[in-house]
Amino acid sequence: MWAVAAPPVALLAMFFVVPLAYLLYISFMTNSQAALYDALPTLHNYLDIASDPFYRLIIERTLLTTLTVLGASLLLGYPVAFYASRLTPSGRMIMLMAMMFPLMVSNVVRAYGWVSLLGRSGVVNVVMSGLVAGHRPVQMLYSFSAVALGLLTIMLPFMIVSITNSLTAIDRRYIEAAESLGASPWRAFLNVTLPLSRPGVTSGLMLVTFLTLSAYVTIALLGGPRFKLLVSLVFDSTATARWPRAAALSFVLLFFAIVIAVVLQFILRPRRTGGARV
Amino acid sequence: MRKQSIVLRLVTAIVLALILGPIAIIVMYSFSAAESLVFPPPGFTLRWFHEFFVIGEMRNAFVLSLVLALVAASVSGVLGVLGAVYVSRRTGAWANVLQTLFMAPLVFPTVILGLALLLLYKQLGIGTLPGLLIAHVVVCLPYAFRSVLSVLQSFDTALEEAGQSLGAGPVRSFLLITVPIIWPGILSAWLFGFIVSFGELNAALFLTGPGVTTLPIETFSYLQFQGSQLVVAAASTIQVLIIIVLLAVAAKFVGAKRVLQR
Repeated sequence: MWAVAAPPVALLAMFFVVPLAYLLYISFMTNSQAALYDALPTLHNYLDIASDPFYRLIIERTLLTTLTVLGASLLLGYPVAFYASRLTPSGRMIMLMAMMFPLMVSNVVRAYGWVSLLGRSGVVNVVMSGLVAGHRPVQMLYSFSAVALGLLTIMLPFMIVSITNSLTAIDRRYIEAAESLGASPWRAFLNVTLPLSRPGVTSGLMLVTFLTLSAYVTIALLGGPRFKLLVSLVFDSTATARWPRAAALSFVLLFFAIVIAVVLQFILRPRRTGGARV
Repeated sequence: MRKQSIVLRLVTAIVLALILGPIAIIVMYSFSAAESLVFPPPGFTLRWFHEFFVIGEMRNAFVLSLVLALVAASVSGVLGVLGAVYVSRRTGAWANVLQTLFMAPLVFPTVILGLALLLLYKQLGIGTLPGLLIAHVVVCLPYAFRSVLSVLQSFDTALEEAGQSLGAGPVRSFLLITVPIIWPGILSAWLFGFIVSFGELNAALFLTGPGVTTLPIETFSYLQFQGSQLVVAAASTIQVLIIIVLLAVAAKFVGAKRVLQR
């Protein structure tokens, strides 16, 4: 039976586990002019990132963007998932198909769409100057809001699919029981539905965290050269062939992804509710 | 109750517009007779689709993406079946570890995997094309694994035992009995692998090279370095069409329900 699993395990060992271990190793080596790295162990790559105010600015901006996208995708995604979970099975199927389809369209296309909407001569500016007399075209791209909006629309389907699956798995009889015991629909939602949908919310938020932190293409096209995030710096370091620096930045990015994921899991951990409050 | 459902509908409509709007706009621009992103488009033309196949780099990238997607979907499909067979028939710590390993590339930031693979390839002297193919197989594997695992978990192994007790070897009974029953899962594994590989962007950012570029990377560098040309819109529309066709095939032969469960 082992022989059956051997090929995929070998592939992932060789081309997933080993390269990441190698990347971690390189992040502790010295940057080199001629080779990939000089084999002189050092902590400099990490210490430089921690002490440089520019890096700190980018890290703060990255965290702010990620938290904004997390909050907005939950606030907008939950109602949609709730609506989808109340639909008939075939209606829900259409809704989920409408969510799956954009997930498959490459992020280049979806960012390009926002470029055509938000640019100086984009659709929004044209429509605005048609509606408002004397409207001056505004450049809306290359800013925090453009990047956050682009990221939000990419993450929403993940969030919605994840929460919808959790909501449809809830046994309707729990909610009926709550209502027959006198709870208002709103209270039944807060005390029964919302806690039971927690697994979908948690897994959706985790996925959004990892994807947002590494969405280089969206950030590059909508943020331009002016608005950079942590993942952009990984690329900038590789452009100048400072591989150990790029490796260290990758692990800093992973570190923040894991910290956010752990904090989210802690906040959303299952808790016993305190029983009936009258 | 009624007021609530109006609010829910409104939010749903806004969210759908935000998600689908940018894609719809690009599809519209791919038929625009203007030279650049001019709104509203002055007229209708198929010129950008013609241009797409005339520009050598675009055409080559398109062909490479198709070939990569075909090969990556097939290889990851076979590997996904092997992995899913093992995990579905074993219980205990090892099966759990392997399941986590097979699903890991799905959540792991692909950009970082791309960088790690690039450095490994440089060290080992692996060429651009095989390197790119390996990366695509790794990225597609979780999708294939998950699709096949979900059908195998509801498969009754007694059928295979019956085959074996009648004298068929394990491989033969797997191919003659199991595969025909679980084929919807295998087909959906293949289709998802194809779609994922065809749109793969993050690992490929580091792994493409001169003359070996996939379509998403080609369009990305076009947008970054040559301005917003409408050829990119045509390329986007072609990608959208391919996805719609494959999703329709999946819905017809695999069943929409299973496609969504993945």
